[in-house]
Amino acid sequence: MPKEILVDPDTLFQPGELTFATVRLHAYATPFEDELAAYGADALKDILRHMLIIREFESMLGAFKATGAYREIPFNYKGPAHLSIGQEGAAVGAALGLEPDDHIFGSHRSHGEFIAKGLATIQKLDEAALEAIMQGHMGGSLRDDVAKFIGGEGKQLAENFLLFGLLAEIFMRANGFNGGMGGSMHAFFPPFGAYPNNAIVGASAGIATGAALRKKLRNEGGICVANAGDGSTGCGPVWEAMNFASMAQFSTLWTDARKGGLPVLFFFNNNFYAMGGQTIGETMGWDRLSRIGAAVNSASMHAETVDGSNPLAVADAVRRKRALLLDGQGPALLDVECYRSTGHSTTDANVYRSRDELKLWEKRDPILCFQGLLIEKGVMDEDEVAAMRERVVATIEAVTRAAVNPEAAPVVDVRSDPTLIGKLMFSNEEIPVPSTPAPLLQEVGKSAALRQLGRKARFGLNESGEPLSGMRAITLRDGLTEATLHHMLNDPSLIAYGEECREWGGAFGVYRGLSDILPYDRLFNSPISEAAIVATAVGYALEGGRALVELMYGDFIGRAGDEIFNQMAKWRSMSNGILKMPVVLRCSVGSKYGAQHSQDWTALIAHIPGLKVVYPATPYDAKGLLASALSSDDPVVFFESQRLYDTVEQFRAEGVPADYYRIPLGEPDVKRAGEDVTILTIGPSLYPALKAADEMQELHGLSAEIIDARSLVPFNYDKVIESVKKTGHLLIVSEASERGSFAMTLSSNMTRFAYEHLKAAPRVLGSPNWIVPGAEMESTYFPQAGDIIDIVTSDFYPARKANRRGIRDWDDIELARNSL
Amino acid sequence: MTTPILMPQLGNEITEAEVTEWLKAEGDEVTEGDLIVVITTTKMSLEIEAPATGVLKSIDVPEGELAEVGATLATIGQP
Repeated sequence: MPKEILVDPDTLFQPGELTFATVRLHAYATPFEDELAAYGADALKDILRHMLIIREFESMLGAFKATGAYREIPFNYKGPAHLSIGQEGAAVGAALGLEPDDHIFGSHRSHGEFIAKGLATIQKLDEAALEAIMQGHMGGSLRDDVAKFIGGEGKQLAENFLLFGLLAEIFMRANGFNGGMGGSMHAFFPPFGAYPNNAIVGASAGIATGAALRKKLRNEGGICVANAGDGSTGCGPVWEAMNFASMAQFSTLWTDARKGGLPVLFFFNNNFYAMGGQTIGETMGWDRLSRIGAAVNSASMHAETVDGSNPLAVADAVRRKRALLLDGQGPALLDVECYRSTGHSTTDANVYRSRDELKLWEKRDPILCFQGLLIEKGVMDEDEVAAMRERVVATIEAVTRAAVNPEAAPVVDVRSDPTLIGKLMFSNEEIPVPSTPAPLLQEVGKSAALRQLGRKARFGLNESGEPLSGMRAITLRDGLTEATLHHMLNDPSLIAYGEECREWGGAFGVYRGLSDILPYDRLFNSPISEAAIVATAVGYALEGGRALVELMYGDFIGRAGDEIFNQMAKWRSMSNGILKMPVVLRCSVGSKYGAQHSQDWTALIAHIPGLKVVYPATPYDAKGLLASALSSDDPVVFFESQRLYDTVEQFRAEGVPADYYRIPLGEPDVKRAGEDVTILTIGPSLYPALKAADEMQELHGLSAEIIDARSLVPFNYDKVIESVKKTGHLLIVSEASERGSFAMTLSSNMTRFAYEHLKAAPRVLGSPNWIVPGAEMESTYFPQAGDIIDIVTSDFYPARKANRRGIRDWDDIELARNSL
Repeated sequence: MTTPILMPQLGNEITEAEVTEWLKAEGDEVTEGDLIVVITTTKMSLEIEAPATGVLKSIDVPEGELAEVGATLATIGQP
């Protein structure tokens, strides 16, 4: 909602017609002689050789899946094999048009793209650079394994390194490129420009877009390529990514030094089938895939349809799009028509296409066509081609023999280290206190909203113990602002964005004032595209940046489900610890807006391995924990209760420090000491627990110890165990629906960890397993002080039982039977 | 005739807000619709327009002070 851009009805309401930038189909017409002159004969021969390597490599995988053997090498390969046989022209052509500092992000069917990019990079780098790359990976041990078990010198060694590293990874062996943690669909090797492939259809679109944003902001050259299939154009996140990459603000609002669209190429390997569904004519509305460019921006994304069976046509198109992207005219789209001549996977019986169709495409086989062309034009003769094929087969056979040999490619030894994979989930590393001043639009003191922070009391209670208004004392919102401000001012690699993050200051004002001082390239409004918000943050982080992104409401997590659960959570571990994921995802937890705007979904996030989860309830904790989250090299989902944004600090008499500080993630905090019962709270439940504690002390003579969980993942149980040793009773309170909640996990674990100290089974008090009602009914839904008192006095201290205070007079067993 | 500039009601749960910045000084001529003062609540900052044309006669709440909803922040009068 920038004021500079006028929404003028008089301009808008003029009659007219929309026109679309033309989308060209198969326009490649460069004479072969010109290509020969430009590339030279050797480079053209290498195009054929690279396609043959991919074909033989994938044929080997296909043979293992179909017959359990390849060239009489028996091996039972149990993993997936989504082969791209027939599509080699697209992969090799694309790699030919790219440079080593261009980064490709793939799909489930990306062995070919990986090999092509690796081979093209090997071709372009000198031997010293290649040796440095090989020595730099796993301390040079993979290079040494390849030299010992396969051999080769110079570039041949590098090619063997590429093929063995990939195959060992596909077999999920310890010295695969990703330590056996990635496998066929997730293999990658960044030094060759091959960034993660992805088992989720279309997921690379958003990730490559975020990586391109990082490349743009770094001004370091190079483009990013999102490789996807035609079927992925049916996925919402792919559209979100294309739109995000096309945001007009890059040209209208960003400073001159950062102007222009994102340098990302959406490269669709259009093989006409989405598994068994036919995109043209059956499952999609488009008649030609490239048409969708016209839906995204006025340049039609420079979309073009090209012949994927001709690597020269593909290279020509990629090179032209690359130039546009480097000129700030991105994004671009290529519809690369090619044909997958084998099945979707090795279990595909090809029942959805006719034999006649398969025969038609045999004539378009990229290898046969290109080989025929080189022979016809006299670049190679038949014998030379046959010799090349033999050498390729010999290479793949040698690589395969090594990869099935447990001595050369050892199995990941989980048995000797049972938590080996667990140790890969998080780096548990933090950056030092950020101290590199970032360029600002103006000084912090020029922002009215930020000046206000300096005038507020740091402690929230007055001399008689009454809370001050949020206008007079630092609130939880202000704590978040201060932590964000320090990182944004002192860490130029950090960017923040989300819906309404700029002038609005975030939907709940946490960033108010920041748009006065931060340029657009550090803080911007995103489209309402939760999937793209998270996916681009993931890509931005994979490319070396740090991202702070916001989902307005935690209820929108579903809109970014894959991006949070499969992308943000998993790349650290699937990379064998090579990649970092410094992404903080802020999610507010609503109130008063009913069923789709008020849910505590912390348990969904905590359930997914690979995510840290934080939910502070006080200004001091919010500031210190957000500082830790922003310093973490691991992904953190940071929950904030909307009901608490205006809460002032009531626990720490020294107040919330104005200076920067961190509170370690994972440490619960005793907010009030007591003797008779331990009440462990998550998020805003801290406050009804305090109220209940006051009343129980006064009316029932019971003293409650209150512990604020603060973090869910990690979680140090020591303080809770110590407390239960003293009190013998544990009640866990949270606002999440009880079934499957994190409170249930805590309860279950505490039953084991402190069994001998418990005088009764722990109790969980959450919200009931039905929808959050409207504002006036919330007190019947979220746990209240009376509900807490009811449980403590009826379950733990029945002798002190008084009249029921809350409304929860129901039978949990009966409710469960009725799906509640 | 004078026109007071009042602290607006910025939401039914807001009782007070901060006068963050005066964009005009006492004695300045103002035209109805000019941005005259920046108000900040716990959640947002916003600019308030002059309700009348005239001269800013008095500023009653200085920068950085809190004022309750409905309080007179300044007065616009005739020259």
